[in-house]
Amino acid sequence: MSEQLWFVDPTAGGNKTKIPLAQRPIDLVGKVVGLIDNTKEQADVILETIAQELRDRYGVKDVIIERKEAFSKPATPALIDAMAKKVDVAAAAVGG
Amino acid sequence: MSQKLDEFEFFFAKEWSDGFPMVTPTEDRIQWMLSGTQRKPDEIVGRVPPALEAASVRTVAIHALMAGCKPEYLPVVLGGLELILREELNMGGVQCTMHGVAPLMIVNGPYARRIGLHGGNGCFGPGFRANVTIGRAIRLMLLNLGGGISGLASATIFSSPMRYTACLTENMERTPWETLAVSRGYRPDDDVITIAMVECPRLHFDDVSTEPHRLLRGIADSMTSTGSWNMWFKSNEVVAMSPQHAKLCADAGMSRGEVHELLCELAVRPQGNLKRGGNWRRERAIAMGIDPDNDDAPVKAVKDPNGLHLIVAGGFGPITAVCHGWNETSRAVHGTYAAN
Repeated sequence: MSEQLWFVDPTAGGNKTKIPLAQRPIDLVGKVVGLIDNTKEQADVILETIAQELRDRYGVKDVIIERKEAFSKPATPALIDAMAKKVDVAAAAVGG
Repeated sequence: MSQKLDEFEFFFAKEWSDGFPMVTPTEDRIQWMLSGTQRKPDEIVGRVPPALEAASVRTVAIHALMAGCKPEYLPVVLGGLELILREELNMGGVQCTMHGVAPLMIVNGPYARRIGLHGGNGCFGPGFRANVTIGRAIRLMLLNLGGGISGLASATIFSSPMRYTACLTENMERTPWETLAVSRGYRPDDDVITIAMVECPRLHFDDVSTEPHRLLRGIADSMTSTGSWNMWFKSNEVVAMSPQHAKLCADAGMSRGEVHELLCELAVRPQGNLKRGGNWRRERAIAMGIDPDNDDAPVKAVKDPNGLHLIVAGGFGPITAVCHGWNETSRAVHGTYAAN
């Protein structure tokens, strides 16, 4: 694009490697689900409730809840790797 | 090349702007801006979260140019960005938070004076090219390279006018004390930037006090509030005393350190007062080591004295500006930068 313009694209230029999305399962029956507790107050209450619903209504085999260091910091690579080894599906969400 | 293309409109359409028109980055102008540094254009300064696009010296120069900087401002922009990307400041968290704090740059040292950074009348506001454009260059990179755009990566509820630009120096002509940087052990001839995540300044007007204790008690009261994260986290806080307020303390024999210490001591409210509204929660009190059922328990706005950044700035008059902070995952950073 820059070749057609007399000014410069101020962004870094999109040299990022594209990572394909992981394959999504058709359902959660018999799957292990991972949930991230972002450490906000009562996040544990909400996630435990969701975990029970996932077991009762969607046939989830097990739910693993891991806790981040702080809600305003990303999960560490170690935490993400550890969870990736244990679960079939993981969900992270912001809370408030 | 399309002769019909309006570059100003193009930059708005591409969302490469903060909402104001920008200087169009042509190759000639970029080379002019790069004359402000001896660093190699392809040197990577860092990656800007959360999108983590790389900022090279050239990319920084492009944004400094677009923001309206002169080449001699570029070392401050480069130094500022390096500090902003330090992990302990947690810029990534601030880029995404629902809060609205912004990284306030406080620049001390001879180079700040040389390039015309302003610490006097109206130093937070419009009209001072170095202040405005250095802060704006940082913000444009947080938008264009970091993706901290409201409604995109940023969940900010209100954002803040400080997210257009937030850069100043101290009023060195009128301060009775050493600078913030010197108070932290730097030499007076060091070029130093301090960056703290803060809200917009609240203006504490006191044209009544004639002795420091009444004055400081009032300022300390502005440092505390229901709904402020300073009460429930180990947050930062910036207090910018006007030269008049600072002089009142200095004339009574108080050093900068003594004022700092007294503000930390006085900026406190009983827990019962903070329960009336705002963000008090039992869990938050317990996390601070406070018995949630003890309404008399004192809650300090500044848990760690290093979290208070006291400066003397602004014009002559009876106001001190108080900027509350964010949460404890962000700790203010400071360091020297190379002025060439």
